[in-house]
Amino acid sequence: MTSDPLLEVSNLSALVEGFEVTHGIDLEVREGEAVALVGRNGAGKTSTFRSIMGLTPVANGSVRFKGEELIDRRAELIPKRGIGYQPENRDLFTGMTVEENFRLPIWTSGDARDIEDEEAVVEDVFDLFTELENRRNAEVQNLSGGQGKMTAIGRALALQPDLLLLDEPLEGLAPVVVENLKRYIREIIDREISVLVAESNASHVPEIVDRMYVIERGEIVDSGDPEVLAENEEIQLLMQGGGE
Amino acid sequence: MIESFVTHTLNGLYYGFILFMIASGLTIIFGVLGVLNLAHGELYALGAFVTFTIVGYLTGLVASPTGPVSALVFAVVVLLGSLAAAAVLLPVGAIVESVFVRPIYERAEVYQLLLTYALLLIFIDVMKFGWGATPVDPGVYSTLNQVPTTELVGFGYPSYNVIVMVVGLAVFLWLVWFFDRSKTGRIVRATAINRDMATAIGVSTDRTFTLVFAMGAFFAGFGGAMVSIGPGTAFLEMGLDPLVLSFVVIVIGGLGSLKGAFVGALLVGVISRWAIWQYPPVELAAPFAVMLAILLVKPEGLFGTWGEIE
Repeated sequence: MTSDPLLEVSNLSALVEGFEVTHGIDLEVREGEAVALVGRNGAGKTSTFRSIMGLTPVANGSVRFKGEELIDRRAELIPKRGIGYQPENRDLFTGMTVEENFRLPIWTSGDARDIEDEEAVVEDVFDLFTELENRRNAEVQNLSGGQGKMTAIGRALALQPDLLLLDEPLEGLAPVVVENLKRYIREIIDREISVLVAESNASHVPEIVDRMYVIERGEIVDSGDPEVLAENEEIQLLMQGGGE
Repeated sequence: MIESFVTHTLNGLYYGFILFMIASGLTIIFGVLGVLNLAHGELYALGAFVTFTIVGYLTGLVASPTGPVSALVFAVVVLLGSLAAAAVLLPVGAIVESVFVRPIYERAEVYQLLLTYALLLIFIDVMKFGWGATPVDPGVYSTLNQVPTTELVGFGYPSYNVIVMVVGLAVFLWLVWFFDRSKTGRIVRATAINRDMATAIGVSTDRTFTLVFAMGAFFAGFGGAMVSIGPGTAFLEMGLDPLVLSFVVIVIGGLGSLKGAFVGALLVGVISRWAIWQYPPVELAAPFAVMLAILLVKPEGLFGTWGEIE
């Protein structure tokens, strides 16, 4: 990849309840690139994502998006700059329908994202997630696990983001649903939206991304070609809770 | 006997609608901000005092009614004056939220209770400074009563009370529409459900919280206005009983539930008026007994939702 950096995270240390949970994270996502942040549960993936979104305070470090520093920006401005976020546990707006969940980001950030045709954007999201079409008016608490993940990703997509942060989109789903979601994520990447995906299962990653980082105990311990890293025995041991 | 029963039930509904205007703000503020506002009753009292001033001024500008038609015109002027008085509470609520309440969101609940109790005392002193320690009355109720009595089956009932009930119902329907159908209302609901996720889609929680607190203050102030222009007066301690009963209302209905506040307010209003009719000493105790009974059966309240406006 030779395109410009879209997201540059440098020396980022996130704080949770006053404790530093990530230590000097450095990572980069270029325009049109799909990158994975792989690590087992508790390694610091979610804290890294939340600190990029301004939802978790940082002790130090820098997050630059399209060259603009995001640290100390008000958190609600970050999605308006073009970062969509699917949180690990979906966090859908219960009591509202799938369609309402898609419309909300347009109402809150549509002007900043130059979204003129709300209907076209909503239909575009339903065109991608065809399985949600007949669940459009269902309240989100009544969705299956896979449909819920799709809704959470669709809600982030409705922002028309330049970068999508997907936190464990495949976790806890049946194998057939995992394959469907992988296909959807590849379609999103084909739409030239950059993607940073957090994943605890390294074997899923080579099918989706161009490059991968490995995070362990809040530090990036390796990075490179996902095909090579996913086969690396040390990395596999690390994912299973072994290693140093 | 039947006429007494119907009259006291209607009086209860009238009082219930006033309570709903106070409790709706209390429950929305709790549902979205997670703050139990002990000063909410004083916003209701402040609405009553401001109404005394604004309605007193406006009615001085129009001729006293000489018949039913001019009485209706007079009633419209009084109602508009009441709305204007409630509108004064919008910036009051916005300032209270943004200056005093916002710094303590991350603190323990005891700080919220101490702060809002302090605000309660400050509001009482401000009203004492502004309007004095003796009750004030815009003196429009007797004139409003020239509007013909509403004829029910077999007896007449004060039209003013019927108007308040209609206005209260309109407030409820508007709030349901606002939270169910309007964009802003649904953004507020999203913020109540998950603050972080609302932020992650671009919602300014600061602005949302200020809006919600100001709305709550407006409806409390409007409730106070309805009492001030009615048979009641504006007095310094008037916020206390409705505040206590509003807590009963939102516990019965479910903390954070708008529909629960509506049903709870009408229930508490009717029960307290039945108590006055049958055995006045238990006027305040009766709604608490109902609250205890409901808590034993449904601890989360009738429409129990925490943090979600439904």
